[in-house]
Amino acid sequence: MTDRYSFSLTTFSPSGKLVQIEYALNAVSQGVTSIGIKATNGVVIATEKKAASPLIDDSSLEKVANVCPNIGIVYSGMGPDFRILLTKARKAAQKYKRVYGEYPPTGILVKEVASVMQEFTQSGGVRPFGVSLLIAGHDETGPSLYQVDPSGSYWAWKASAMGKNMVNAKTFLEKRYNDDIELEDAVHTSILTLKEGFEGQMTENSIEIGVIGSAVGYTEDQKPIFRKLTPSEVKDYLANIA
Amino acid sequence: MSPGSYNGGAVVAMIGKNCVAIASDKRFGVQMQTIGTEFSKVFPVTEKSYVGLPGLTTDTQTLQEIFRFKANMYKLREEREIEPRTLSKLVSSTLYERRWGPYFVHPLVAGLDKNNQPFICAMDLIGCITETCDFVVGGTSEENLFGICESVWEPDLEPEDLFETISQALLCSIDRDCFAGWGAVVHVITPERVITRTLKSRMD
Amino acid sequence: MECLIGIVGKDFVLVAADATATSSVNIFKTDEDKSRDLNKHIIMLYSGEAGDAVNFAEYIQRNVRFYGIKNGIELNPKAAATFTRRELAQSLRSRKPYMVNLLIAGYDITKTTPHLYWIDYLGSSIEAPHVAHGYGSYYTVSFLDKHHHPDLTLEEAKILIKKCIDEIKHRLILNLPDFKIKVVDKDGIREIVI
Repeated sequence: MTDRYSFSLTTFSPSGKLVQIEYALNAVSQGVTSIGIKATNGVVIATEKKAASPLIDDSSLEKVANVCPNIGIVYSGMGPDFRILLTKARKAAQKYKRVYGEYPPTGILVKEVASVMQEFTQSGGVRPFGVSLLIAGHDETGPSLYQVDPSGSYWAWKASAMGKNMVNAKTFLEKRYNDDIELEDAVHTSILTLKEGFEGQMTENSIEIGVIGSAVGYTEDQKPIFRKLTPSEVKDYLANIA
Repeated sequence: MSPGSYNGGAVVAMIGKNCVAIASDKRFGVQMQTIGTEFSKVFPVTEKSYVGLPGLTTDTQTLQEIFRFKANMYKLREEREIEPRTLSKLVSSTLYERRWGPYFVHPLVAGLDKNNQPFICAMDLIGCITETCDFVVGGTSEENLFGICESVWEPDLEPEDLFETISQALLCSIDRDCFAGWGAVVHVITPERVITRTLKSRMD
Repeated sequence: MECLIGIVGKDFVLVAADATATSSVNIFKTDEDKSRDLNKHIIMLYSGEAGDAVNFAEYIQRNVRFYGIKNGIELNPKAAATFTRRELAQSLRSRKPYMVNLLIAGYDITKTTPHLYWIDYLGSSIEAPHVAHGYGSYYTVSFLDKHHHPDLTLEEAKILIKKCIDEIKHRLILNLPDFKIKVVDKDGIREIVI
């Protein structure tokens, strides 16, 4: 009889928790570590990229992605869920441009993505997204870094980490971060932080880095652009660290 | 009788030195009969940007309500005022949504952006934008306004001179247009404040 | 053919509507009331296509009344006029638009001010001190331009509206034998005979 009533999976437990959201967070904390650091002149986001088998062509994997020219995104958690959110975020950015003739400020795009994630914690017949996101952007207020969780809550960070090695990485970031860090240093710090919990040899093909800022490059209308670092650029950074 | 000249009206906007002005007549009529004499077709959207909507009055009023709503929602959502250039894109996309059943208006947008750079533009009834660096005109006195503005406008007018120029241009134009007139209102937008003055004109 | 007139006075609005119900060339009756009370202090005068006019007026009347019941506070004249204008503007772009011209006269009890709105079937709405719809407007608006002033008393307004009606009867080729005249002020709406 009871299965006749199809409750949302995210019904409050008697203690006031939404266990499905907690389970989604567990999925995130088992995911691959991602790092984000906001610098004075830009933002860097980075993550590990390890293929499950050496036979996989890892040049086809993409974990750091462009949403629109001024916004980039990375995730920890479930890859397929991320791609859905990425598509929705890209569509939201284009819709905004269709109306206002310009790409959305970072905060607006974040709100848009967060409201999609919130919707999936309250609708029937769906489950929450098994991902947390780091969204890096640059707008007229300057660079900003946001984290969005499966519940749909979001915060602006100076630096953050998510995934498997989150606790250690955050401790590391707390020690290394200062308010006048520049983008170049921030990229180094993000690599060092990833290296803390990294298993095996770190190469230009086993991490992904995205950067945005005044030093990175500009769009046609002179606005900072989000760009992924090429493997050879990553290789140079790694060489400097070693 | 086309919808664009059923009620009558004239709007003009001009760029000056670090300022812009936008002005409208005050007649509301139905074809040849004047019904009201206190109907300006220019509306504030933010403190420093105005939209002029000459054309069919029912659409002027509907669009004014729509843009007030959209600008208020924008301000709440983005925690900032909409810039005049962004506003013009918003007006344009709103009009193009009605591509196959348009609002019969000839919108003008005038304002100062966050760096106090002047911006003016005009568009047609389905939202095709024309941005200029001198003046834009619209309404039943459009041709008259083009002629007079071409003659009297000059670059880098200070607010008081810009007021004089736009006022004379509008008054001359509406005096030769039986669908527009019955007084006028002029807004001069400067970085410090907006100067709004009403003008007397021929009341016939 | 039909005629609606409105005059704003110092603390009241005086309105008049012709009382003739017609169909093509026939006069059916000459004591028709072409108005509806939207609430205690707002009256709407209507003219236009026979079925449309009453149907639209009663649709607005019911919605304004419902607002009062639902919210425990009545709409003020400006809000009622804005609502009515929106309904007509939306109707204009529907499959079958309402062909109705309106005057909305009201007394704002919180601001203690009289208001008069002129609305046409397109959804154009203006507030004005004196207005008219129909062929009669060609005689009345110019006459009222000359004689209206902001401090008009009810006695003066009665004389003015009488002269307007006499002028219409005198000049207009159409036969409009009778008008219903109403006044809206702080005490509400009442019909008066001149």
